[in-house]
Amino acid sequence: MSSIKEKFNQISPSEFFYSNRDLAGFSNPTRSLYTAVREFVENSLDACDQKGILPDVHLTIKAVDPEKSDPKPYILTVKDNGPGIDAEHIPLAFGTVLYGSKFGLKQARGVFGLGATMAILYGQITTNKPVIVKSSVDGKTQNMFELLLDIQKNKPVILKHTTKEVSKKGLSVSICLEGDYSKAGNKIRDYVYETSLITPYASITFDDSKGQKFSHPRFVKNMPSPPTIIRPHPHGIDVERIRRMIVESQFEIPTIDDAMIEKVRKDLGLSKKNLGFTAIMEKAKKKWKTLPRQVRVVIALMSFLKMDFEKLNKIKIEDIDMPNKKLFYWDFGDSQSKSVEMNPDSQYYKQLTNTVQGEPLTTFLTKRFQRIGPTTAIKFAEFARFKPEKRMGTMTNQELVNLSDSLQKFEDFLAPDPSCLAPLGEEPLEKGIRKFFNPDFVAVVQRPASAYSGFPFIIEMGIAYGGEIKTGGPHVYRYANRIPLLYDEGSDVVLKVSNDTDWGRYKIKGEPPFIIVSHICSTRIPYKTAGKENVADRPEIERELRLALQYLSRKLAAYMSKRGQAEMAKKRANLYAKYIPLIAEFCTELAGKKKEPNYKKILQEENAIESKPVKEENTIEN
Amino acid sequence: MKTSKSKERSKKAEKKQKNILEMLKSHGAKIYEDLDNGQFPKFSIPSRSVSNIVYDKKLRQYILGNNAALRSARNSSQLRSFTQLMWLAFFANRLTQEKKSSTLRDVYYSSQAFAIEFEDQSESDNIIVDLEAVTSKPREDFHIFPEERSSIFGDLNIEYTIPGYEGKSMNLSNHPDGYSIGPSLTTAELVDTSAEIVIAIEKGGLFTRFVEEQIDKKFKSIIINTGGQAPRSTRTLLKRLHDEMRLPVIVLTDGDVYGEHIAMVIKSGSANAAHLRELTVPDAKWIGVWATDIEKYKLPTIPMTESDIKRCYDLQKDPRYQDGVWKKELDVFLRIKRKAELEAFSKYGLTNITDKYLPQKLELAKSL
Repeated sequence: MSSIKEKFNQISPSEFFYSNRDLAGFSNPTRSLYTAVREFVENSLDACDQKGILPDVHLTIKAVDPEKSDPKPYILTVKDNGPGIDAEHIPLAFGTVLYGSKFGLKQARGVFGLGATMAILYGQITTNKPVIVKSSVDGKTQNMFELLLDIQKNKPVILKHTTKEVSKKGLSVSICLEGDYSKAGNKIRDYVYETSLITPYASITFDDSKGQKFSHPRFVKNMPSPPTIIRPHPHGIDVERIRRMIVESQFEIPTIDDAMIEKVRKDLGLSKKNLGFTAIMEKAKKKWKTLPRQVRVVIALMSFLKMDFEKLNKIKIEDIDMPNKKLFYWDFGDSQSKSVEMNPDSQYYKQLTNTVQGEPLTTFLTKRFQRIGPTTAIKFAEFARFKPEKRMGTMTNQELVNLSDSLQKFEDFLAPDPSCLAPLGEEPLEKGIRKFFNPDFVAVVQRPASAYSGFPFIIEMGIAYGGEIKTGGPHVYRYANRIPLLYDEGSDVVLKVSNDTDWGRYKIKGEPPFIIVSHICSTRIPYKTAGKENVADRPEIERELRLALQYLSRKLAAYMSKRGQAEMAKKRANLYAKYIPLIAEFCTELAGKKKEPNYKKILQEENAIESKPVKEENTIEN
Repeated sequence: MKTSKSKERSKKAEKKQKNILEMLKSHGAKIYEDLDNGQFPKFSIPSRSVSNIVYDKKLRQYILGNNAALRSARNSSQLRSFTQLMWLAFFANRLTQEKKSSTLRDVYYSSQAFAIEFEDQSESDNIIVDLEAVTSKPREDFHIFPEERSSIFGDLNIEYTIPGYEGKSMNLSNHPDGYSIGPSLTTAELVDTSAEIVIAIEKGGLFTRFVEEQIDKKFKSIIINTGGQAPRSTRTLLKRLHDEMRLPVIVLTDGDVYGEHIAMVIKSGSANAAHLRELTVPDAKWIGVWATDIEKYKLPTIPMTESDIKRCYDLQKDPRYQDGVWKKELDVFLRIKRKAELEAFSKYGLTNITDKYLPQKLELAKSL
């Protein structure tokens, strides 16, 4: 997404998405209604997840004019009990495209706001009605906004803003959009149903336009532990990302104004005291460790300028030329530009270098990436043919490209840190499968974390057999980051793995009552399309899926063979009950007896073990 | 004189019947006892697998070896066939006791009245063979006969033993269509005959011709139509004509490998009936049509099919085809790869076969 932002910042992102709405899943009224539901529901769930709130999500779809035939305008409302959004952010969050995206890496259903804004945009395009946002962050006051998007300027237009008292926190978003519920209804109901399976700690209700109510109360009271935001892995990075990180890591030379000087004095404990240059430096030396970066930079500059606060007030830093070790400044008193030499051996010189030229490569690596220690950083520098102390701020474009390539190629980095992932967990998954399918057999597994291209991922999978599961399986339920994937099933990697499996080997034959629930958690799901409906077959992911499925299939096979044995025993008992009385009847007449033999004993013998025939009989064919 | 002979005969039949009934009873008693003791009943049955069928040179027929399989009612995969066999023994017991006859097909249908299921007739036929194997008695002893009938014509007096006809006699040259060989004829007493030879022919058409040509009188013979591969009742009758009336048996078939084997089955039985020993006429002779006759009599021929040729190769491995005329003719068939039917002789006139070929062959047979 980051690269898209860079490219299209030039024109309005709203305009870009307006003309490319197919990409985001708004291609026709059916698909658009479904996608809009998804975006809002997922936003609500994400918001609750982030704050550790057990989600209550209410989805309503009402036709504006029920008499009209589809496609027609619908009012879609999603209401949650989440943290809400501060009133000041609401216009920007809902009235601009690409507002509030985050750089931290962790598993979430979506990049916040993007899809929702698309839905709002789509609604506005098709019905020219505003989005209505009601939010309360404190459970006391609710802010209500009616907003339109100015597509060309990518700016919100506030039509109405009111406040009122409420008793609950949460957010409610309501849009009017052209949709086709008669066609999208099935998918939306499936979506809500399947979402509640993978989000067992959420209560989701759905009132549809035909007056039907669907309610999925939570059946798990504990939320899975939330993911932590972590630094990126070197394998999952590109030049653009490195550039962005360098900008983040560089500090600007602070403007030395009255406020800044006041801050420095305060931090040194010299607010009321006027000291000379030498005394200030001594004081700074003592307090160095407690000083914030900006203050350190000012001190460093003062050390070369040899000025106290009073003098410092009368100049402006013009340039810091590190290679030539010169510091240029404008002296307001003399009204001319002056310069001083900088002693490169001074510790203050180093401080300035860090600030101006950025961190050395090794520091950049250990501080900005996950799981890189000093040793690995030095080894990498050698591998990439950079000096370990190479300043990040001095890298040329070509050097950045080389760095990016080397980061991809270097193989001694540790695997990505999975703590940014939030799988559901085996227990809730099993509970969900039991509740939804009431099967005879369930097995679930959570694979250890793995990674593709520097992105960590975890596969969770469950399979179930028999009970109330309908025949014609395996039915595959696909999830990615707790989103059910309903479209484009055929080209999905999970389907591929399932189709590649020879089920006969696991004693599963015919049209079995059999389901597979697969959940891929990752900081970046490799979707094949922007519509987030099918997962591409990355070899690492395919391998993990295969291992998970094999493990579960073996368990199922063991169950099936037990089940087979039980069925066989029952079948055998039935056979005995059917045939032994007949044998008794015939042999009685044959033996010339009147009373039948007492064969009941045999039938009662429960553990009648099948004895093998002495020899196989092969009757001759003609 | 006649009464005492007749009494003696019926006494003999009585005794046979009694033996059969006792044997069935003893099998039944064993099963009954097992059940009563709370055990799954079981019995042993000679294996009819290919590996257990051996050629007995002394008996000159295929017999079963010593391998036996245990049938147990405990084994659920055998339970169904076990029950079927029990029912069959029970049904055979009734037939024998009441001196009623049944056919293979009739057995299949009768089973339904007793809640016994057979998939099809071949399954029930197979169970009948099982009963034969267990008891070492042919099914005819249990009054079970095949549907297909072959026929007999010639001067032979018989006396029926079946209920309702006991003591009644009949001459088998009274009806020009011949008499069909069924249970009443197979079990009848063979009283006397003027014939000196039995001619078994493969085909009904030739049988009719032979009757018309009065071959029975011209060659003092009894003519039998085997209708292809001779049914077991016919083979039983052939054996009795040979053993009891001391008549030599000659066989006349089509000039192909199947004809040769029809003759061989009459002579030494089939692998299918290796569990039975009273169906063969080891002295029977095959007089034609030989492969060498095709060349000698310049018979019109048709080429052998692939399956004919395959059959030749199969039979070459059979121990009974290792010498004499059997081996020689088989080799010639394989060499010329052509075959001729009995009707081929009509190229030289309708009576050519009876006027020329048969006398020559009968003469030759004496030296075989």
